[in-house]
Amino acid sequence: MRLGMVIDLKRCIGCYGCQIACKAENGTRPGTTYARVVKREWGEYPNVKRLSIPVLCMHCGEPPCVDVCPTGASQKRECDGIVFVETDVCVGCRACVMACPYGARYFQDESRDYFGTGENAYEECVYAAHQSGVVEKCDFCRARLEQGLEPACSANCMCKARIFGDLEDPNSEVSRLIREEGGFQLNPELGTDPSVWYLPPER
Amino acid sequence: MTHSAPTSEAGGRDVWIPSACGMCYNQCGIRGHRKDGTLVKIEGNPDNPIGRGRLCARGLAGIQLLYDPHRVNRPLRRTNPEKGIGVDPGWQEIGWDEALDEISERLRKVRERDPRGFFFSGTVISLAPLMHALGTFLPAFGSPSAFVSDGHHCGNAEHILARTLHASVTTNPDVAHCDYLLLFGCQAGLGTYYALTSMAQDVADARVRGMKVVAVDPYLGSAAEKADEWLPIKPGSDGALACAMLNLLLNEYRLFDEAYLRDHADGPYLLTEEGWYARDAESGKPLVWDLAAGRPRPFDAPDLGTPALTGSHPVDGRPCRTVFQALCDQVAKWTPEAAAEVTTIPAQTIRRIAREFGEAAAIGSTIQIDGKSLPLRPASALYFKGAHGHDNAWPTALAIELLNEVVGASNVPGGLLGTNPVCSGHPDTGFPRWRPGPDADGLLEAGALLYNDPYGRTPGWPPPPQSAELPNLRDLVGWPITTCFTPAALNDRENFQFDHRPEVLINYGSNLLMSVARPEVCFEAFEHAFVVCVNLYSDETAEALADIVLPDACYLERLDPLPNFTRHHHPVGLGDWGHTIRQPLVEPLHERRHFSEVLLELADRLGITQPMNLLTNNLFGLVPPHALEPDRSYSWREIADRAYKSWFGEERGLAWFEQHGVIRWPKQVEEVFWKPFIHARAPLYNEWVKRSGEQVAEIARQRGMKGVDTSGFFPLPDWRPCRAWQPREGYDLQAIYYRVPWHTFSMTYENPWLDEISRGEPYSYFVCINTATARARGISDGDPIVVEAADGGSVEGRARLTEGVHPEVLAVANNGGHWAKGMPFARGKGIFFNQLLPMDLPHTDLVSLSMDCDARVRVRKREEA
Repeated sequence: MRLGMVIDLKRCIGCYGCQIACKAENGTRPGTTYARVVKREWGEYPNVKRLSIPVLCMHCGEPPCVDVCPTGASQKRECDGIVFVETDVCVGCRACVMACPYGARYFQDESRDYFGTGENAYEECVYAAHQSGVVEKCDFCRARLEQGLEPACSANCMCKARIFGDLEDPNSEVSRLIREEGGFQLNPELGTDPSVWYLPPER
Repeated sequence: MTHSAPTSEAGGRDVWIPSACGMCYNQCGIRGHRKDGTLVKIEGNPDNPIGRGRLCARGLAGIQLLYDPHRVNRPLRRTNPEKGIGVDPGWQEIGWDEALDEISERLRKVRERDPRGFFFSGTVISLAPLMHALGTFLPAFGSPSAFVSDGHHCGNAEHILARTLHASVTTNPDVAHCDYLLLFGCQAGLGTYYALTSMAQDVADARVRGMKVVAVDPYLGSAAEKADEWLPIKPGSDGALACAMLNLLLNEYRLFDEAYLRDHADGPYLLTEEGWYARDAESGKPLVWDLAAGRPRPFDAPDLGTPALTGSHPVDGRPCRTVFQALCDQVAKWTPEAAAEVTTIPAQTIRRIAREFGEAAAIGSTIQIDGKSLPLRPASALYFKGAHGHDNAWPTALAIELLNEVVGASNVPGGLLGTNPVCSGHPDTGFPRWRPGPDADGLLEAGALLYNDPYGRTPGWPPPPQSAELPNLRDLVGWPITTCFTPAALNDRENFQFDHRPEVLINYGSNLLMSVARPEVCFEAFEHAFVVCVNLYSDETAEALADIVLPDACYLERLDPLPNFTRHHHPVGLGDWGHTIRQPLVEPLHERRHFSEVLLELADRLGITQPMNLLTNNLFGLVPPHALEPDRSYSWREIADRAYKSWFGEERGLAWFEQHGVIRWPKQVEEVFWKPFIHARAPLYNEWVKRSGEQVAEIARQRGMKGVDTSGFFPLPDWRPCRAWQPREGYDLQAIYYRVPWHTFSMTYENPWLDEISRGEPYSYFVCINTATARARGISDGDPIVVEAADGGSVEGRARLTEGVHPEVLAVANNGGHWAKGMPFARGKGIFFNQLLPMDLPHTDLVSLSMDCDARVRVRKREEA
C-alpha cells in the first residue's frame, strides 16, 4: 500500500480550511502549519489568473529528509509509505528542514504561544502532546487512520477537493483521478516522487 | 492576563457534543470534543445538512475565541467620565447584580418617561439572541428603536426581492442543475455568501460537471479566481450591465420565456399612463388584455382567453402598455455601448455574455424529478454586496433579478431559488410549515420570513409609509428587513425633527463604531446616552461609548434553540431539512452569561415577563400545550424545551436535541421547486415602490424635511451612478472592500489562527492597487500609502501591486485596523476601510436603506517622517 492524496485545484477555492483543520487536529504551535496554502498570480490585466495551491508534506517516494537525518528519526513506513518523525530520537539539528524542497518541516520552539500572553487552557492541553527542540511535520494523521478515519484536512475540505487513498490500488479513487484527470506532481524534476498529486485547475 | 480556567462540571469525561457554529451568520452544524472539561476540537457535524460535516477556517478556529485571554470575563464599569474615540474608559470590574441593578433602573426610568428612548442595536452573526431581543424584549418593553449594526447593512435590497420574487429572505442558485452561473459582486460557494459550507461542495460539483462561472467584480477575489471568466467592472455599475443584458435579451435576441412571463409573472398586467396597474372598476383586480375577446378583463377571470404579453391596449379609451412591454421599452436605452461606457466592460463582451446567458437558460426545456415534470432553466444570475452595496442598490438589484425572471429561471431547477419558501413540516408533526400564495392582485406573497406563525399564515406586506418619527425609519421605510441608518438619522435630527433621543443604548455583540461607517457617525449619535455593550471583547465601541460592559457567553458557551429559525441558511435545492441545537460545549467560563438569559432577568425586573411570554410564543411558533402562559416565569431551558416539543413532538424536547443534535427529513420536490404547483405571479413591476415613493415624498413635504430624494422609487430597472462612481476633481479612484472566507467583518482579526492565515497570504493585509496605476504614481509594492476620500476620511496601509484589480479601484479585505486596548491581538492588523465611509441621506438608497459601501478616493505614497 502507498498512501497518497490528490488535491483537485479546480475544486479548491483557497479558503484555508485545510490549514486550520490540520492545526485543529494536531494542536500545533504558531508558525507550524503542516498544511498551508500558496497563492500565485500571473498574466496582465485584464487577462489575469490566480491560483491557490494547498501544500503539505509530499510523503515522497524518495524523501531527501530521510536521507539527511543523522539520527534515523526521520523515517518512511514500509507498510504505507508515510514519512514521519520519531520525535524521541530527533535531536533538532534541522538538516531535514533544509533538505525538504517543499518547506514541509517545522522546528518546534516551546516558547511560542498564540496570544503572546502564555498558553491558554486549550494550548496547555494540546501542546502537551508535542516536544520542543524537535522537528515536526504532517504524518497523514496516523492516529486518525488507526481509527478508520481519513486525514483531517481531506475529511474537512468544504469543496471535497482533497481525496485520500492507496496509490498502488489501480481502482482507488486517487489512482483513477490521477489517470483520468491529468494528475501531476509538484517539482518532479527534483526526483522526490511525491505521494501528493494535483489535478489541473482548468480542464 | 491569566489563563482562562475551564469551569465545566463534566471534568474527567471525553465527549463529543453537537451544536451550531457562530463564527459567521451561516450557523453551520458543528460537533465539539471536550476532554476533561477543556474544548479540544471543533469539527463539522456530518448529521447536519447545514454544513454536511465540514467547516470553513473560521468555524474550526472558534476554540481560540473561547479561550482568548482578552475576553471580557466580568461586568465592567467605566470610571473615566469622558467618552471619546481612543479614550481610556478606566474599566473597573463589578458584579452582575450591581450591573443589572443599574441597567434595569435606567430602563425603568426610560420606560416611564418615554420607552422610545431605549435604543437597541445588535449583530446578525448571533442571530438567535438578536431575534430574541428584537422579537420579544423590545416590543414587550414598548420600544420601536431597534437597528442592526454589524458589517454595514444587511442584504437590504436583496432581501426585498428575495421576498417579492422568491417568497423568502435570501436566495441561492440551484447549481445542481445549473450550467451557467453569472455572479455580480458575489462569491456564492466560492468564498462567502449563504450556506457556504454546503454550497462550496455543490458549486465544486457543478463546476467539475461543466457549469460555467462568470464573475463580474472589480477585484480578482475568491469568485473571480475560480471563474471561467472574470469581468472587471467599475464598482457600482453592475446595474448598467444588467440593464444592457435585459435590453439584448428582450429587444434584440428575443430570448425570453413567454409562457413564464405571461402565466407566472405580471407580464400581461396592463399599466396606465401614470404607471399604475389598470384595475377593474368593480373588483379592483389588475386588468389584462384578453386577445380573443378583444377587451380588458380581470387577470383571474374564470374564462379568460390568452392575455397579450406585449403592446399597448385601450382601457376606457386610454392606452395601457403591458408590464412586459413597459419593461422592454424601459431598458431599450441601455445599449451595450452605453453600458460599456459606465462599466468599462467592452460592448462586444456584454453582447456575448447576454447571448450565453440567454441560450444557457434553454427556455422551454423540462426535467423529470421524482416523477414530476418541471421547467428546467440551467442559468442563474446572482448578486450580493459588491453589486448592491451602493446608493443605487434598488434599481441594481432589480435589474439583475429580472435577468432570471425574463428567461424563466426563477424558482425552478437550474435557476435562482428562494431559500426554501415552502415547508410541509416534519412528517410526524406537520410543523414547522409555511407556504407562499397569491395576494389579492395575484402576486406572490411569502409564507414565512425569518420566523413564522406556526399555522403558516402569510405575514403580509409591511404597512405603507406613515410618518418619519422613528430614527430607524421603520415608519417611513418599513420594508427592508434591517437597517443601520439609525445613527445617521439621529445625527440629522433637526431635519427629521425627532422628538425623542437615545437615553439608553444596549448594543448586543456588534462593534458599531467600526462596523457601520466611520466611527464619528455612531459616536455622535450615542455619546450622550447610557450605553451598555454586551460583548465578547472590550472593543472600540465599548471603550469609546460604554458605561457598562456585560461579558457575553459566546456561541460555544450557550443554548439557543432552533438557531436556524425557519430555514436560515439552509442549503437550497434537493436534500434534507435539518433543525439543530446550539448548546454549550463548555459552561460559560468565568462570569460570562448568555444574553437571552440576561433578557429574561431584565424582563423580570421590569415587570414585562407577561408580554414577553406572549411574544415568545410568536417568535418560536409555540402552540398549546407548549405555549407559554402569560403569568408564569420560565427559564431559558424550559422555553427551549417547549420550542422543540412544539415543532417536533413530545418525545423530541430539549433532552432529545442535546443528545442527538439534529433532526432531519427529506425535502419534497414540490417544496423545493414549488413554482409550477402554486399559482402566484412574480411581480416584474413594482407598483408598491412607486406608491411608497409618493407617500414618502408627501410625508417629507409635510414635515419640511430636506434631502429626501424619492426619485429612486422607480418600479422598473434602470441605472444611475452611485456617489462613489461619480467623478470628482482630484479624486480619480474608487475604494472597495471585498471579503475573504477566513474573516468575518472585523471580528476575527483577534483570532490568532485566522490572523496567521492573513500573514501568510499575499493580499488581505494590504491595499490592493493595480500595478500600472501604482507605477504611474510612483508607488512600489509594499510602500506605505495614504488613501483619502473625497467625502472625508483617510486610511493608511501598505500597497500590494497586483494585476488582479481594476485600474481605477483600490481593494481592501474586510475591515481591520483595530485600535482598542481590549483587542490587543487585533490592533493594527489590516486596514480600517470604514474610515472612508460617511453615512447620511446623500449616500443612501432610500428604497432599501443601503449605503454606498465604496468611496471615491485618491492615493499617495505616505511621506516618511
